[in-house]
Amino acid sequence: MKSRLGFVPVMAALGFVFLYVPIISLIVYSFNESKLVTVWSRFSTKWYVELLNDEQILNAAWISFKIGAISATAALVFGTIAALVLQRFGRFRGKTLLTGMVSAPLVMPEVITGLSLLLLFVAMESVFGWPAGRGLTTIIIAHTTFCMAFVAVVVQARLADMDSDQEEAAMDLGATPARVFWDITLPTIAPALISGWLLAFTLSLDDLVIASFVSGPGATTLPMLIFSKVRLGVSPDVNALATLMILIVAVGVMLAAWIMHSSKSKTAGSNSGEI
Amino acid sequence: MVIAIPMIWLLVFFLIPFAVVFKLSLSEAAIARPPYLPIMTWDEEGILSFILNIGNYFYLLEDDLYIYAYMQSMKIALVSTLICLLVAYPMALAIARAKAGSRNLLLMLVILPFWTSFLLRVYAWIGILKTNGLLNNALLWLGLIDQPLAIMQTDLAVYIGIVYTYLPFMILPLYTSLVKQDAALLEAAADLGARPATAFFSVTLPLSFPGIAAGSLLVFIPVVGEFVIPALLGGPDTLMIGKVLWSEFFSNRDWPVASAVATVMLVVLVVPIMLLRLAQQADEVQS
Amino acid sequence: MTTDAISPFISEPWTDPSNKPFIRIRGISRHYGAVKAVDNVDLDIYKGELFCLLGGSGSGKTTLLRMLCGFENPTAGSIEIDGQDMAHVPPFKRPVNMMFQSYALFPHMSVAKNVGYGLARDGMPKAQIDNRVEELLAMVQMEGFGVRRPNQLSGGQRQRVALARALAKKPKLLLLDEPLGALDKKLREETQFELMKLQEDLGVTFVVVTHDQEEAMTLASRIAVMADGKLAQVSTPRDVYEYPNSRFVADFIGGVNLFEGRVTADEENHMKLQSSEAGLEIHVGHGVSCSPGQRMWYALRPEKIRIARDRPDQPFNVVEGMVEEVAYMGSLSVYRINLDSGKQIKVTQPNLERAQDNPIRWDQRVFVSWDSSAGVVLPS
Repeated sequence: MKSRLGFVPVMAALGFVFLYVPIISLIVYSFNESKLVTVWSRFSTKWYVELLNDEQILNAAWISFKIGAISATAALVFGTIAALVLQRFGRFRGKTLLTGMVSAPLVMPEVITGLSLLLLFVAMESVFGWPAGRGLTTIIIAHTTFCMAFVAVVVQARLADMDSDQEEAAMDLGATPARVFWDITLPTIAPALISGWLLAFTLSLDDLVIASFVSGPGATTLPMLIFSKVRLGVSPDVNALATLMILIVAVGVMLAAWIMHSSKSKTAGSNSGEI
Repeated sequence: MVIAIPMIWLLVFFLIPFAVVFKLSLSEAAIARPPYLPIMTWDEEGILSFILNIGNYFYLLEDDLYIYAYMQSMKIALVSTLICLLVAYPMALAIARAKAGSRNLLLMLVILPFWTSFLLRVYAWIGILKTNGLLNNALLWLGLIDQPLAIMQTDLAVYIGIVYTYLPFMILPLYTSLVKQDAALLEAAADLGARPATAFFSVTLPLSFPGIAAGSLLVFIPVVGEFVIPALLGGPDTLMIGKVLWSEFFSNRDWPVASAVATVMLVVLVVPIMLLRLAQQADEVQS
Repeated sequence: MTTDAISPFISEPWTDPSNKPFIRIRGISRHYGAVKAVDNVDLDIYKGELFCLLGGSGSGKTTLLRMLCGFENPTAGSIEIDGQDMAHVPPFKRPVNMMFQSYALFPHMSVAKNVGYGLARDGMPKAQIDNRVEELLAMVQMEGFGVRRPNQLSGGQRQRVALARALAKKPKLLLLDEPLGALDKKLREETQFELMKLQEDLGVTFVVVTHDQEEAMTLASRIAVMADGKLAQVSTPRDVYEYPNSRFVADFIGGVNLFEGRVTADEENHMKLQSSEAGLEIHVGHGVSCSPGQRMWYALRPEKIRIARDRPDQPFNVVEGMVEEVAYMGSLSVYRINLDSGKQIKVTQPNLERAQDNPIRWDQRVFVSWDSSAGVVLPS
């Protein structure tokens, strides 16, 4: 493409401005001393100090972190298995069903997922007596369910790109299926596993709607707390919190991108041929 | 069998819940824990009796509020999908035609906001759009307006929030289908006498239809049930069905009606969800 | 079918019925729903052969190969390798190794790790593996490349590494899927001869899948021509070319002119075929067991035909035609000639001399002739 300023580059640039202005404004005003978020008085880090002393926020953050870590890990395991089953097992009974169940949570409105899971938990409790009440466990189950769909999609894409010749070659050279998975499949999909886990963790950390439905007393996640604060109006400590989260995510994403990039350049030379 | 775990998990925690929702939508609300009456009861003589209550669905039909909320949700979803498409297309095209090196960086710039908290990004717009917010301050300072614009708590704010939040979902599928296109196609079109604009409309655009379809559905479907954005940016008039369901459930504690609302929403969304599968399959076949 | 020249230097184990085949394939089929990828194939391959499965895409050659190494399960039939039934033997337990078309080198492992992978799976001690890897890399002339990654190699080098890796475990049988397909023409010709030499030195049985008939002709001790999941013909390269058993094989391998005709005479030592397509009664110098009036085809290779401006002095197999086109190809020239019957035929003539005084040009009338032993009569 020529470097002259055409319609497309200008529109694209405006699009990027649109994407980043809100984020930048969040960060800038987190350092504003005034309580009126959008009136700049002077630079201050007092909201960060306030944030770090806010027992309630720290507590909710810890709960969200726990939920995120556990659900992301469970979602990684189940999602990877689902992706392997869909990508490597050929045709089997129920494949269409599984494909549908893996892809539908990606677009399913959260209010529906949240409501339906809550009703399931209530029904299960009255029939089996488990889960007794709602709280951490039910949120973790709910998050695992919708996060595993995202993991499955990410891993499946990677598996589809992967040359199944390599797995067959390893098997041909005497590696048992378990060995093939360990030696060949796992190293190849490792970047997808990392980004899948991070994605699941972020989604769990971010979820308000589903958690609100399936949560119970004593399990207030960070988004639930933020939502209740924000509903009452803008508060600068939320800006500070947002800035910290953006910072963590930005570092994480760049790290992941770097890992992906370096592993991609390693495998760039692999051939793919007609099977 | 280990490989059956995801299947069973999804059956139990994704598919069966819909049946539970449907079942509950047929029961009657009550002041109880949980707040509804069972459908099946064993009476004293040990006879099983079913009480199916389709009243909840009639209730949805009778009260204008629900029909209005459904229509409003569809309208908002449709319009914001269109705006998303218009904003996303040039961006996707610019990224797809950027040099290979900068392409990854630009893609990351698109994805990065998606990784940061959705709730906080919506929250950021409150600070920008409110009466004494950044946008009004900037416009006043530039002398473009005398009075602050009332954007917050209007449909406009909801549109801005939705387009902003769902833009990456539109850009990525568009980019995927655009980047696959052979640059030689445009050269061939030019060689055969097509001006750039003609080449775009006769070659680039038709070839990106699978991407347009996938992206549009990826935006449209979740937006229909969106709750957070209308709750934070919209006003009391902005009735979207997700918000109605939420208040039916949390404020009115009417679980059966909330379930009926959800069931109808699901039925409305089944067709777009199937279309999405088709679009994605078509895309896979193409690549 | 007879082999017209049995060379004393090349052993031809398939000619001796007392020989036990190394691979016995009996009634093997692989169906995908209604599609019969491989359909009831019987095939014997002998120890030390360089056997080529030749066919177009979708002919079933790759499926057959994949059943030999165990990546596909036959729908029916059996495979025996070295007397052992292969049913239910998973790929990782078969005495067979494969060189993949894509090479399938592990991108995250060094060349040495790739080559030694199979040995490590056999539990060979590390020091021994290192020695064997050195040896193998030397064999394929890749000494010193052990520390590299596959993506730091050229296409030809990758091919050598893939070959070394497949040979590392000293398999009884090496399967090669389009082994030279990814190489450019010049490299392919060099590698063909190296592959043959290697196979001869090691004495390993090779089964090669290819769609390239030239490659099959050069490499193979025998060729199996496959079409629609069936074996169309299994013979030596010479026999497949000179004695094709069907119009399909005749047409698939090299160029051919086919004339349809009806049998007018069938004696012990000759037969005659009335062909309106060729515009004459074709005289064939041997008998074919068939019934009079039966429909037959006569296959005539372009290089077995002579053309001349003057009527040649022979009593049969002479027709007249008009030269439509002449293509000079260097070592030979290709003529397209419209016979008076309306049929167009292809004739090639070697360019034996650098300068020709009065070459045959287009739009000239010529006499086309051939010997009574030049062509093959085909019943189908």
